[in-house]
Amino acid sequence: MAGKWLPAAELTGSGRPVLHQGEVECSLLSSVDLECEDNPSSSFPLLKSGLLIVTTHRVLWIPPEGTTAHAIPLAAVSHVFTSSSSSKIKKKSIKTMFSSPRVRFQVSVTSEGRVDERGTGSMVMTLVLRGKNSDSDSLLGKLLEAWRGRAWESGGGSGSGKFDGGSSSGGLRMPVVGVAGILRKEQEMWESTDKSLQDAFQDLNALMSKAKEMVMLAEKMRLKLLSGSNNQGSVANDEDEMGSKEEMQDWLLSVGIASPVTKESAGALYHQQLSRQLADFVKIPLERSGGMINLIDVYCVFNRARGTELISPEDLLQACSLWKNVDVPVMLRLFDSGVMVIQNKSYNDEQVLSRIKSLALKPEALRSGISASDAAIMLGIAPAMAKEHLLTAESKGLLCRDVSPDGFRFYVNLFQDINLDDMYLVKDHSAYGAWRWRERERERASICEQSTKRLQPGVNVHTSLLMYYGNHAELPIFFPALETKC
Amino acid sequence: MRRRPGIGGLQTAAAARDQYRLLGENVAKLKMDLMKEQLATFRSQLEDFARKHKNDIRKNPAFRSQFHEMCAKVGVDPLASNKGFWAELLGIGDFYYELGVQIVDICLATRPHNGGLINLEELCRLLNQRRKSAREAVTEDDCLRAISKLKVLGNGFEVISVGKRKLVRSVPTELNKDHNEILELAQANGFVTVEEVARRLSWSSGRATDALETLLDEGLAMIDDGHRDGKRRYWFPCVSSISSFVGNETL
Repeated sequence: MAGKWLPAAELTGSGRPVLHQGEVECSLLSSVDLECEDNPSSSFPLLKSGLLIVTTHRVLWIPPEGTTAHAIPLAAVSHVFTSSSSSKIKKKSIKTMFSSPRVRFQVSVTSEGRVDERGTGSMVMTLVLRGKNSDSDSLLGKLLEAWRGRAWESGGGSGSGKFDGGSSSGGLRMPVVGVAGILRKEQEMWESTDKSLQDAFQDLNALMSKAKEMVMLAEKMRLKLLSGSNNQGSVANDEDEMGSKEEMQDWLLSVGIASPVTKESAGALYHQQLSRQLADFVKIPLERSGGMINLIDVYCVFNRARGTELISPEDLLQACSLWKNVDVPVMLRLFDSGVMVIQNKSYNDEQVLSRIKSLALKPEALRSGISASDAAIMLGIAPAMAKEHLLTAESKGLLCRDVSPDGFRFYVNLFQDINLDDMYLVKDHSAYGAWRWRERERERASICEQSTKRLQPGVNVHTSLLMYYGNHAELPIFFPALETKC
Repeated sequence: MRRRPGIGGLQTAAAARDQYRLLGENVAKLKMDLMKEQLATFRSQLEDFARKHKNDIRKNPAFRSQFHEMCAKVGVDPLASNKGFWAELLGIGDFYYELGVQIVDICLATRPHNGGLINLEELCRLLNQRRKSAREAVTEDDCLRAISKLKVLGNGFEVISVGKRKLVRSVPTELNKDHNEILELAQANGFVTVEEVARRLSWSSGRATDALETLLDEGLAMIDDGHRDGKRRYWFPCVSSISSFVGNETL
């Protein structure tokens, strides 16, 4: 309902905002109210105690539950009131002692009251910080920094023209004619690149202001080098100097999280947000490795994606353990051997157990059981893992173990079909029934076979069957079916 | 160019074409060399910055992401902390964490070739190659220390000793597909030898031995030393009997 006033923001499956190209999170704060001063309070929706995220492009407000978030593009912010909040605190009147710190800013709105950067009207929004130890000054500082940075203006990808056209900055330009002209143009290009490299790496501030150009330059070099090594074998040869083409591509793959959650930006929300980001991130590696991945592999891949913002193993473990409390599609699993893996919740035991059961009910398995290796081959997983599944199946009452010189084998559990009051009652569709029926079929088949081999067909089969069934008095006898079969 | 008749004219044209081509090649080569030079400068500068201004870079989220992008595009590892005094003494600081990430990275990268089993020496060599910008070399002891930091994340990563050599195993038994391949191989005769496994699957003998020993521990294999050729045979009583119908299932 607030969509009438505020643009909606997309969220990922685990409740993290979907960031735009080049957008980076600067600060996170929990339990923040979003209020509007000018609108009568009846028409503007109540946005209470949500999560506030200040990025380089937007101010995002995510409600405590639910999946719709709201965004205020920083481009629409026309003024941030810097003095009001701090001066109020300085006065230390009784009212301000007890009221929550606020951060106010003015946004431009359209005539319908919708927040938009092209709007003509304006209204004042207030962020009320309800958290116990939330620091309004630091939030204000972050908001101002992001707003003054005007990152959304350069995000359009128009920066490339600026760099390519660098050679023409001299004003007087020699016409490009003939071979000499081409050569001169090349020369100019290289000189300008050299110069911009030198300028950019003078000190950190220079690099920061030229960061965009340098990223473009890096991209250009990479592409040229990759295409160059395709055409010319000579380039790929001196690997020790350049690093091979494969290495370059490896590096490219390793970056993924443009805006990693850090202790600095998220503060008290660090582990919670980290856990959500990890849940979003781990989907692709999980898919690639077939629904289960070693926690240590994740540690490496995740940290690689975060660049220099390393997290410690302890933080990772804590982030994983928080998954229990949030609705995410992944879970942490600890094996008896002490190995920890991350697996999809959809990769559930139910499905595996039903496959194990169907395997255990196959005729040969009824007779001689299944081993961990059989299950491993069928499920396409490692034997140790298969054994784990078999033991789970056993604990659920699906299988029975049999330890013999042949090794550890599992049979389908027939005990649960047997009624203690009536031992000989066989339920029609139970596993035990199926097993007995198969056993009988097998023995009958072998008798028929023997009879037809050694004896006159049709005459003595009956007598041998009679002898057989005579010894198994409890079994029902159905001769007519036999006669037709033999 | 004006076309001239006759063989002489053709020859001149051909010679001119050759010269243009030669010039073009030279220019292309020059371009490549120049770019390599610039890239090298770019890289070394980035490496320097990553080391010197680590904290400043981390303070500014917007710049940080751009810095990472640059590093990734020209192939610079942004993790380049020096060991430093405190790291050496107490094992604190980012150094060992960074090393840990790089070690696992190498293990992941080489896994297709070695099945997740790598010699500690080789690991160390690859690590130093990757960290060539850092001033001090990484020792095996540093590697072991970094690996021990990963213990918090479960037992999926361990250092095992085979004879005098130390091997690092990055694939836990639960996720090791090597065992399946051995079982498949064993279906033919019911048994395998280390040589056979190494030859047929083109593994190193260490990888084969390790996998077979694990299967032995798991109770899936049995040893037979009594054969005439003196080679140890690993029998798999489990695969021979009903593997046929399991095979049908997987198809």
